[in-house]
Amino acid sequence: MKAGITILTVAAFASVPLWLRDPYLLNALITTGVFIIAAMSLNLLLGFTGQLSLGHIAFFGIGAYVSALTSLGFDIGFPGGFRLVHEPWPPIAGFVLAILIAGLCGYFVGLLSFRVRGAYFVIVTISFAEVVRLVALNWVELTQGPLALTNIPSIAIGLPGLGELTLRTKLQNYYLVLAVAFVAYLLIARLVHSHFGRAMRGLMENETLAVSVGIDVTRTLTLAAVISAAIAGAAGSLYAHYIRIIDPEVFAFINTVTMVIMVITGGKGSLAGPVVGGLIFGLLPVVLRPIMAPEAQWIAYGGVLIVILFVLPRGIVPSLAQRLAKRKREAATVAPVAFSERAKEPA
Amino acid sequence: MSEFLQHLINMLVLGGTYALLGIGLTLIFGIMNVVNFTHGVLYTFGAYIMFIVVQQLGLNFFLALPVAVVAGWLLGAVIELTLLRPLRGSDIDTTMLVMIGAWIAMQSATLWIWGGVAKSVATPFPDAPLVLGPVSVSWLRLFVLAAAALLIVVTYLLINRTKLGCAMRATFQDQDTASLMGVNVDLIYTSTFAIGSSLAAAAGALLGPVYVIFPQMGDLAAVKAFAIVILGGLGNITGAVIGGFILALAEELGAGYISSGYRDAMGFLIIIAVLIFKPTGLFARSERVG
Amino acid sequence: MMRTSRIMPAIALAAVLLGGGAKAQTIKIGVNEPLTGAFAASGTYVVNGAKIAADEINAKGGILGKKIELVIEDNKSNPTEAAAVAEKLITSDKVPVLMGAWGSSLTLAVMPKLIEYETPMVVETSSSSKITTTGNPFIFRISPPSSVEAAAFKGIVDKLALKKVDFLVINNDWGRGTAEDFSKMMKEKGIGIGLVETMDQGAQDMSAQLSKIKSSDSETVIVTTAVDQLTLIFKQAAALGLKKRIITTGGSQNPDQIIAQAGAAANGTMHLTTFLPWFPEKTPNPEATNYFVSEWKKRGFDFAGCTESFRGYDGIRTAAAAIEKAGKAEPAAIKAALWDIDVKGLNGDIVFRKSGPAGKESGQSQPNVYLIEISDGKVDMKTL
Repeated sequence: MKAGITILTVAAFASVPLWLRDPYLLNALITTGVFIIAAMSLNLLLGFTGQLSLGHIAFFGIGAYVSALTSLGFDIGFPGGFRLVHEPWPPIAGFVLAILIAGLCGYFVGLLSFRVRGAYFVIVTISFAEVVRLVALNWVELTQGPLALTNIPSIAIGLPGLGELTLRTKLQNYYLVLAVAFVAYLLIARLVHSHFGRAMRGLMENETLAVSVGIDVTRTLTLAAVISAAIAGAAGSLYAHYIRIIDPEVFAFINTVTMVIMVITGGKGSLAGPVVGGLIFGLLPVVLRPIMAPEAQWIAYGGVLIVILFVLPRGIVPSLAQRLAKRKREAATVAPVAFSERAKEPA
Repeated sequence: MSEFLQHLINMLVLGGTYALLGIGLTLIFGIMNVVNFTHGVLYTFGAYIMFIVVQQLGLNFFLALPVAVVAGWLLGAVIELTLLRPLRGSDIDTTMLVMIGAWIAMQSATLWIWGGVAKSVATPFPDAPLVLGPVSVSWLRLFVLAAAALLIVVTYLLINRTKLGCAMRATFQDQDTASLMGVNVDLIYTSTFAIGSSLAAAAGALLGPVYVIFPQMGDLAAVKAFAIVILGGLGNITGAVIGGFILALAEELGAGYISSGYRDAMGFLIIIAVLIFKPTGLFARSERVG
Repeated sequence: MMRTSRIMPAIALAAVLLGGGAKAQTIKIGVNEPLTGAFAASGTYVVNGAKIAADEINAKGGILGKKIELVIEDNKSNPTEAAAVAEKLITSDKVPVLMGAWGSSLTLAVMPKLIEYETPMVVETSSSSKITTTGNPFIFRISPPSSVEAAAFKGIVDKLALKKVDFLVINNDWGRGTAEDFSKMMKEKGIGIGLVETMDQGAQDMSAQLSKIKSSDSETVIVTTAVDQLTLIFKQAAALGLKKRIITTGGSQNPDQIIAQAGAAANGTMHLTTFLPWFPEKTPNPEATNYFVSEWKKRGFDFAGCTESFRGYDGIRTAAAAIEKAGKAEPAAIKAALWDIDVKGLNGDIVFRKSGPAGKESGQSQPNVYLIEISDGKVDMKTL
């Protein structure tokens, strides 16, 4: 049943370019898709461990910069006359390195910031993202600072026996983003249903109890942070090779806010939540653009956000699933309650 | 040496400003556990009230300040009653996101009404600065420092010497017990948010004339306020004041002697360092996990 | 909620189809500017200038017998959105030529789209040297990059008797580029370079940087940033008792706003600017300048906005001239025609010269640069 829905959804997404011919809408879907991947990775932290990170854009941006610099090359000097010169590598290597280095950053940031909880954690993650932004802005020799990295090459995929395929068109990039999103979804789903996933949820529900039954808090949280950061890095790499220019503005706070909005409105702790929330808030600006003044579009954006939270405070997917389950229960016998429905009063 | 003295003077005037920004937020953050993203908008709101009263209505500069405080108080109460009260008991991230929605909508409304061009407010203070040997400081900023100090003292007395303040402190320590003891928690929450908001509006009204007034002016102010609150510990007014001066000192010396590009990084690096070594802030009264 | 999410793409599609098909009797020019976000004020000025140009052209009967229609879209001061807006303007609205996108990172984000759809764009404000040097043959820039400004300033520096200068620049491509190009030029002239201080875009308190500059041994400070920060810098420099000569660059200084907001603190400051709305008779095209300035005032806009908005006016007139020369509203023809036009712009003749790698050069015009001085709360032209 569940697998059937997943396959149908993927097939529906895969069919979009067959009937949607407008390149502008396809472009909007690709950028939305990139942000949905990032939102899914944020959901792993926010929805399954309960840690609200407001610095997630840092990993996205690090992925974008690592990937861009790997494929463009750089030449930097260090104190003491030592120079580090890097010749351009294929973009696909950049993609892999983006995942690895973003994951590594996730490890260190996790190690430091999981010492605090709640509001303190929120602020530490914001601080971290700001410091990374300022480094990208001021380390001009490496990142070119505000002068931006331009002419970032498109991703090329090597097919054995068939040579290289450079993904330049929107159609190719759409399927690339869809494929990465699907892999990320499967990975997160697998993780959540594993022993590790149960440890994460145990932690979220009652940290003291989780510790008493032998869950290693720091290890569990750090591992979640590493995987989450690595996926965000992958999304950042896709972004860099699709938009083909990045500057420190990629670390803008509004980008983190966009991800958080996608996760929470869609439903944190629900696998499909970020996808649903992402589609709504990724495409909302596209819908609003032709019908109202620029300032009014933002007011409407904020208004829609507030209304969704008031009507469905736990997010769209969990709230609808709950209603559906309730109706089924009324119709038939007692159905088991989905794991994602935590014993919590709907506010 | 004279450069160092000038940096110290700058730190004093800047620190007073930061302290004022911090105390309003620390009350809301500490007592209500709301990550209040409208703090910056209320700061902007106070500045625009100043602009309307002084530049458009042509009224007295000193009259405009209390007007901004009252207007901020009212707007804060409205936000609490319409957006926060219905969501009482929700997660910290749900209320935070509602505040983010309000922030986006209100900031865009400001842009729509006033446009993006920066406004400035004429002040009754002389242009020539007060010169003390090798250092100098503008009269307006001295006035702001004095007004900020006054507001901080009033707030401190309100929290520590009045019945309302006593109820607020009780709610901060244990909401359920306070409620059992007959404290009207709803009223406390609305009052807290309104007081915090009026302090943000006061900060905007004082600093609008020092700087320039534009719709996004609150964003940077809000980020600094968050940093100050965390440095000082949630709900701790004295902590917020000291945190404000520490942040100002770090920025001044960082920009003066390390690199101006990393000026804003100083505050964040201090936060990261403080939370690693003393996870509850420098002056926290009690840890609050949630 | 499920139902709405299914309907929304349909609404968007319908809106796009309707918008695309309604008016075929006009010639469209796409305008990609920041109307919300950090650069909202500047983007709005440029759009208002663009509207004056469009109305003027249409009042005279349009071009090729058709009226021109500006399709104005907000790029939200965000590079991702700037690219999306370019995509929309080119593919949905079918504009044959664009103007935009104010900030350099916004313009840079649009550039791959221009190559993809082979559509030319008139760049009206962005200053990054990368825009015209990376081999994008669809770029035609009318604003001066900082190297052009530095070259123009080279002829002036001797008369100012500079010995050593400090820089205080905004931390973006514009400020960094200016510091780099001006330092290089001044070193050639034997002028010493002292501190190079930066400030974040949006920063309001520059006292720390100014205190450092106050204690340095330079006699002049070159300041590059937008007008709001300039105003603050003048006020704060006065409050700190900074007595050095201040010269601003970049051409969006809005001296009137500085005078209005910084008061006496602005006296004695010098500004490198690209437009002289105060002295229409001294501009290369007095008649057009008079018309533009009077139209600007008639529409009730702030006079101070002139130094930003004239670029939108010139940009649209450049695009319209190219369409007229091409004889048809098609991207390839307009691109070819842009190389042949000679428009009497408000700050000099707009004639594009080749810039960048051979075979795929971008166009760059060479606008005039003037030095003005504020004294006794008035703008004076420096005779040099």
